[in-house]
Amino acid sequence: MHVVRNWLIRGVVVIVLTMVPADSRAQNMPDSVDLDSLVQLYEKVRFDHAKHIGLSKDCGVCHHHTTGMPTEDANCIRCHKNSAATAVVACKACHSAQPFSAETIKKNKSNIKNYHKDAPGLKGAYHQGCGGCHARDGGPTGCQDCHPRKKSGDAFYHAGEYAPKTPKNGKSGGR
Amino acid sequence: MKRRNFLKACMICGASTTLGISRNAWGGVSFEGYPERMGVLVDLTRCVGCRSCEAACNKEQQLPAPSAPFDDLSVFDKKRRPTEEAYTVVNRYEATKAGGPVYRKIQCNHCNEPACLSSCLVNAYTKTQEGAVIYNPKVCIGCRACMVACPFNIPGYSYSSAFNPLVKKCIFCYDTRLKNGKPPACVEICPQETLTFGHLNDLIKIGHERIRDMPDKYIDHIYGEKEVGGTGWIYLSGVPFDKVGFDTTLGNEPIISNVKEFLGLIPMVLAIWPALFTGFHLLSTRNNNDPSKQGDSRSYQEDAKP
Amino acid sequence: MNKFKTQEVTIVDSPYKDPGKTKWSVKEKLLLGLTPQQYVAQALRNPFNWLLAIIFAVGLPIVAGRFLFGLSWVTDSSYDYPWGLFLGFGLFTMVPLSSSGFQLGTAVEIFGRHDLKPIERLALLNGLLGYFFAVCYLLVDLGQPWRLPYPMMFAFGPAAVLFLVAWHVATYLSVQITEVSVSFFEWIGFPMGKQAVRKITLGLTVAGIILSTLHQGALGALFTYAPGKVHPLWYSASFQWLHFFVSSMPAGLCMVIVVGSIVKKTMAWRCDDNFMKNVDKLSITLARGVCMGLATYLTIKLIGVAHDNKWGYLASGWGLWYLFEIGVGVILPLVLTSYAVRNNKVGLVRFSALLTIFGLVLNRFNTALITFNWKLDEWFIPHWREVVITVTIFAIYIVAYRFILYRLPILYTWKTADEPVHVAEPIKESATYVTG
Repeated sequence: MHVVRNWLIRGVVVIVLTMVPADSRAQNMPDSVDLDSLVQLYEKVRFDHAKHIGLSKDCGVCHHHTTGMPTEDANCIRCHKNSAATAVVACKACHSAQPFSAETIKKNKSNIKNYHKDAPGLKGAYHQGCGGCHARDGGPTGCQDCHPRKKSGDAFYHAGEYAPKTPKNGKSGGR
Repeated sequence: MKRRNFLKACMICGASTTLGISRNAWGGVSFEGYPERMGVLVDLTRCVGCRSCEAACNKEQQLPAPSAPFDDLSVFDKKRRPTEEAYTVVNRYEATKAGGPVYRKIQCNHCNEPACLSSCLVNAYTKTQEGAVIYNPKVCIGCRACMVACPFNIPGYSYSSAFNPLVKKCIFCYDTRLKNGKPPACVEICPQETLTFGHLNDLIKIGHERIRDMPDKYIDHIYGEKEVGGTGWIYLSGVPFDKVGFDTTLGNEPIISNVKEFLGLIPMVLAIWPALFTGFHLLSTRNNNDPSKQGDSRSYQEDAKP
Repeated sequence: MNKFKTQEVTIVDSPYKDPGKTKWSVKEKLLLGLTPQQYVAQALRNPFNWLLAIIFAVGLPIVAGRFLFGLSWVTDSSYDYPWGLFLGFGLFTMVPLSSSGFQLGTAVEIFGRHDLKPIERLALLNGLLGYFFAVCYLLVDLGQPWRLPYPMMFAFGPAAVLFLVAWHVATYLSVQITEVSVSFFEWIGFPMGKQAVRKITLGLTVAGIILSTLHQGALGALFTYAPGKVHPLWYSASFQWLHFFVSSMPAGLCMVIVVGSIVKKTMAWRCDDNFMKNVDKLSITLARGVCMGLATYLTIKLIGVAHDNKWGYLASGWGLWYLFEIGVGVILPLVLTSYAVRNNKVGLVRFSALLTIFGLVLNRFNTALITFNWKLDEWFIPHWREVVITVTIFAIYIVAYRFILYRLPILYTWKTADEPVHVAEPIKESATYVTG
């Protein structure tokens, strides 16, 4: 009797587990991600990961093939038809925060096996990646819509309280 | 007798002029550029006109405060050009292709064989190995020939300074960054990575790869790859280049090529004229050593042009 | 001064006040042999001086202001038009107008045309002052004029055409100063200096023609740095330097004709018989040269258009302007001068000399200022202070010209006991002409 009950419990557990959707079985899938690479000028971006999962369903839109979901882009399938998941799927794992530093350029140049020599850096990946769908589907497109400026940012842009008081006959682009 | 001499002189003159002019100098060397030179690929399909590059340049080069904030987009209503206070500007162009306006960043293109450098009589400009065209303010006399020569109308001049007016232009952030292998401030700040920094030879390849990957997205031409001998800052565009303010009539020869004919003539004149005119003198004045005829060496023929 | 002449006041024209006895002092020479009161009186009587006074009263403070407040105070500080009137007029126009120096020097010394001697010194002076004041205009225009010696001394950019211009103008000025110094040494009473210069005159003249060929051409070659910016009808990739060099020659000769006419009218008291008898006839002789120069220039301008197949540009607004410049500035004076030379009409020669000068000025203004940046929307409109400074410096040029002509033996022959006075025999004494 106990044996049957135990097997029943195991069976129910297995069935319940298989009913759980595949993608939620992945480890460390955050609901929200803080993007803070530009903190000198901007507040960090509170990226609502869960919402975007709901909007998109296809992980490959942002994560390429790295989550294990096969890619459907014609350009990518040429090589990545059977590519597997990668250990880390966060953007910053592959998209360097400093794509143009001397080290990155040197590394890029010396790594002959790397096909993607034109891969954008982290900032470019975010903006190019997000911007397309946002423009098309009515997401935020202004700079401060996603990351409001800090005071240091205002100073940098000579905006807000750092804006020029009286418009002088300036030469910021003259004849 | 005089006529014969005159004709003789004409023939000598005519023959010697053929020595001076060399059109196709087959012995000429073409300069392919320093092999390790850096460059920037500007992809106009990516720029959204945020003007962060202008702000970054302003900070990096310690330029004066602008007359309007850098996030003020009303500046796009007028076409601007680089000035003594703004080494780079972004202009907006309403393109014919559906897809909204196109933005173009303008700055010194750091040419392979710069016109400014070729026209400077005090050698104030240097094309560095890293690819930047930099300026030495210590020798500049302010003749502004470089401003006349630059086919892109880039150098600005600080006319407002009475005692130390200087040429002001983008220097590829050479002193603070490029010298140490770092990208210029505008490249680093650009959110869209409109600006890609790297070795120029690699960037040209990348540019062609982008065109190949997305032929509908790009015009099949990299502006600056060949124009005026090749520039360090090269451009990709989704709309025809002349629609977004580029001068497409420049040709592929560096500006100095236009001047080479005259420059080559100079040593010829310096070498030939002395003998030529001393020859004329000997041919046309007679009896110079005859004291009885001194002071009588005037021409009897008034028709001949002096 | 005419008043004094009629009063038989002795005006300095030889070393001695009373023949063979007392010499004029330098101060007396400077005052032309007049007492200071007489000198001031004649100056005040001259209405041209009143005009000059007004020009200087307004202009000199503005010239000073240019150096105190910078170029932005006197120009529009244009980045697209970095060169304005100072260079457009002061350099590009005044230099070709001063080509008379090398032309007359070559004619007399190289080709032995000693019949031109009466106007040779005037032509040399015209050349010297033109170049000298071109340098003055340059000093006003340069951002850092105190660095003018830099390309001569430490910072060399030999690939730049301007480098050649700088060196040549400096060298040529020295040549011209030396050539004019002959008159100065006569006047100041330093015959050894004069002898020394006469010995090297041939060399100086050959140097002069070498330097002039190159820098007259170089001013044109400057525009080959901006091939797209000058309108194609005014630009020639291969021949720009030739156009500028060849056009400078009739212009320089015409300057001598015009200045000769002016001094004949306004400074008759200063001119001796040698000059007065010959100036008209020699103007016609020069006019022959002008005809050939203009005819050649017209031909090479047309060759320039044909060479790059630019005929299509003639059918446009700019084309009409080009035809105007060629028509009124080259063809018309060519026709008039030819007719005048054939018929010995000095007055007409003078008028067409003015037309030729107008044509030259127009061509330089067109190339440097008016058709420059023809693709851009903005025209070059000078700042009013820029105009004032240009006029003021030109007034100083006229004053310097007049100062020297009043004193040095240029229009008259210095009477000395050492040298016989050489009066060139007029070739056709029986010629009759219609004087202007």
